[in-house]
Amino acid sequence: MAITAKLTRMEWVSSGMSSVHSTDHQSNGEHGTVMSYTIGFILSLVFTVVPYYLVVSKSVSGNALLATILGFAVVQMIIQILFFLHLGRGPKPLYNIAFFVSTVGIILVVVGGSLFIMRHLHYNMAPTEVSRSVAEKEGIYQVEGKKTGACQEIGANHKVIIGNGAISPRQIKTSLCDTLTFISQDDILHEIAFGLHPNHETYAGEGDLHLRTGRNKTITLNQSGTYQFHDHVNPELTGDFTVKP
Amino acid sequence: MVTATETGHQEAANDRVMFGFWVYLMTDLLMFAVLFAVYAVLHGNTMGGPSGRDLFSLPLALTETIILLTSSFTCGIGMIAARRGRINQVLVWYGITFALGLVFLGLELREFAELIHEGHTLSRNAFLSSFFTLVGTHGLHIISGLLWMAITLVFVVSRGLNPHMVRKLGLLSLYWHFLDIVWIFIFTIVYLRVFV
Repeated sequence: MAITAKLTRMEWVSSGMSSVHSTDHQSNGEHGTVMSYTIGFILSLVFTVVPYYLVVSKSVSGNALLATILGFAVVQMIIQILFFLHLGRGPKPLYNIAFFVSTVGIILVVVGGSLFIMRHLHYNMAPTEVSRSVAEKEGIYQVEGKKTGACQEIGANHKVIIGNGAISPRQIKTSLCDTLTFISQDDILHEIAFGLHPNHETYAGEGDLHLRTGRNKTITLNQSGTYQFHDHVNPELTGDFTVKP
Repeated sequence: MVTATETGHQEAANDRVMFGFWVYLMTDLLMFAVLFAVYAVLHGNTMGGPSGRDLFSLPLALTETIILLTSSFTCGIGMIAARRGRINQVLVWYGITFALGLVFLGLELREFAELIHEGHTLSRNAFLSSFFTLVGTHGLHIISGLLWMAITLVFVVSRGLNPHMVRKLGLLSLYWHFLDIVWIFIFTIVYLRVFV
């Protein structure tokens, strides 16, 4: 009993010595210091709060904002990997780095590949109502003798402008096979949904239309009738369009 | 008498264990990446119901993020104390880490409870399924980490801060930092993204 206690104490002393050894060549290397953790912490805080305020203040918008916040996330990950996980330091850093890099590579293939495949599967194997919009886009007017409803000749173009709390015009009269373009005129995201909030219907296979300044969405009116739409971001903004056959 | 080779062996063994654990963390990262991919594909499938924009609270997400980030920091400071053999500091700093982790978990559980109470369960639509799976898996990792932390701290109290305990704390810290890194992406891709 006494011997084992003595051995464990010596073991502790020896690794105390080895950690003194370690502190000699590793303390500012493999393991962190209070300074490095603090720097990592403050940097991470900054890289958390800045994208938060960018989103909340809507000062940037659209794809630029999306790319920005993702960029902040990746940089914060690197900060934490360097300052908290100490990747790259220590006696044999290459193994850890190599494994990390290969994992990232696998992730890029698996995630990127999945997104690519699923997107195209959705397009190519869509349910019937979405196939209608696909037929329109691809210009497929009939399949095995049956008409798809896609328009062969496009009529006039009508514009709807959404911005600054208003939709103009709020009622649009069109004819079959005209086109309708939704245009955003302010800096916030608009999400045009068919139907009245909270319902989201589809029109001729088209679902929600995400609008940004400079990126309009146009639909071909190959279905007759009167249809309502609303801006999901501001649901009180509604309008309707009538398609005469 | 302890020879130099023995300390060398101890260090080499430590390196191997740490590397092995790193390999495990990489596979865990891969699993999370796949869950992210699923969420990315399915987040729009709300079947006409409310989307993330209608359901998520950005201030809550920011609070959770800062709490977890702070706990990662206190964990690091605790690790420094462990390497210096300061057992009381270890207990204090890891105790704070544990408390912060518990608060994070509480906030997340409350968010889930509210969603479920309002009928937005994981069987409602694909968006909610993928959301609950992704964020829930992270939550399960947090629970495991907290359990591990509690047990380790009990051992530190009863067995003292010997080199094996220091190594265990090192592994635990790696795990805890890793969970914070995964949360960065959950915060960005799940919560921030819907308000862009």
